[in-house]
Amino acid sequence: MTQHLWTRLLEAKSRLKPVQSKYRVLFEDPTQPDEPAKVLVPDPNWMAAALAGNVLPPIDTYQRDRLVPDGQLKEHPYSEPIGAMSEEEAIEYLVQKDIDPAVWRDYQGNRTIMKIVPVEMIPADRSFRNAWRIMQ
Amino acid sequence: MSTLEVSNLNDGTTTVATTHLTNGTGKAWCNWNGQGTVAIRNSHNVSSITDNGTGDYSVNFTSSFTAYDYTSTAISGRDVSASQVGCFASVTGGTASAARITELAGTTFFDSLLFMTAIHGDLA
Repeated sequence: MTQHLWTRLLEAKSRLKPVQSKYRVLFEDPTQPDEPAKVLVPDPNWMAAALAGNVLPPIDTYQRDRLVPDGQLKEHPYSEPIGAMSEEEAIEYLVQKDIDPAVWRDYQGNRTIMKIVPVEMIPADRSFRNAWRIMQ
Repeated sequence: MSTLEVSNLNDGTTTVATTHLTNGTGKAWCNWNGQGTVAIRNSHNVSSITDNGTGDYSVNFTSSFTAYDYTSTAISGRDVSASQVGCFASVTGGTASAARITELAGTTFFDSLLFMTAIHGDLA
């Protein structure tokens, strides 16, 4: 029987060294044009699990679970884990998991609303954080 | 790995149902830096955080909760230069798969060097 995802994460954390990602995902929400650009920051324990394999479920289980109403059985915690990913593949997985499909799948406009960038490209000075936009 | 299947634990005098442990355990937690280059220091059951803007973060879970009916507690590091009010769970933006945490100083959002949150609830 497949272990619950939460249990697999506990076991993985006990044996894997955390990996701070070299990347960040910069994105804008097309449904909230007045909001600043957002930055997705990968978790180091999650990244270690993604790189090691046999912990995380297939990404399509999360996508199907987006349509499952609260309180009903979700698929992703009980799915068979997938194999190891490269860091780039892990970031693409994370985009599909943690960013709304309106950003990475459905947007049809001309603006660039999402970029995967090296962490050094994100400004460390946050004085004008709420004015951040993706340079076109 | 071997599995011990028991309904109760007994230390000789007191009996506790194992459901007390599984239901009472924190299901997700996260400690992150909200100043300079935002980064997660340590966590469990978190895939990423989303930096939504000044003092406004979403904590994304790897293993989701059954519904948006969990409880979250959050605190931030004290900054002597700011009149911090505290951390709040945003009334919008939370879901079964992400909690949204904001930090206020006075009436404006504020980035702290230290954010911590723990979430209890029922996993999906």
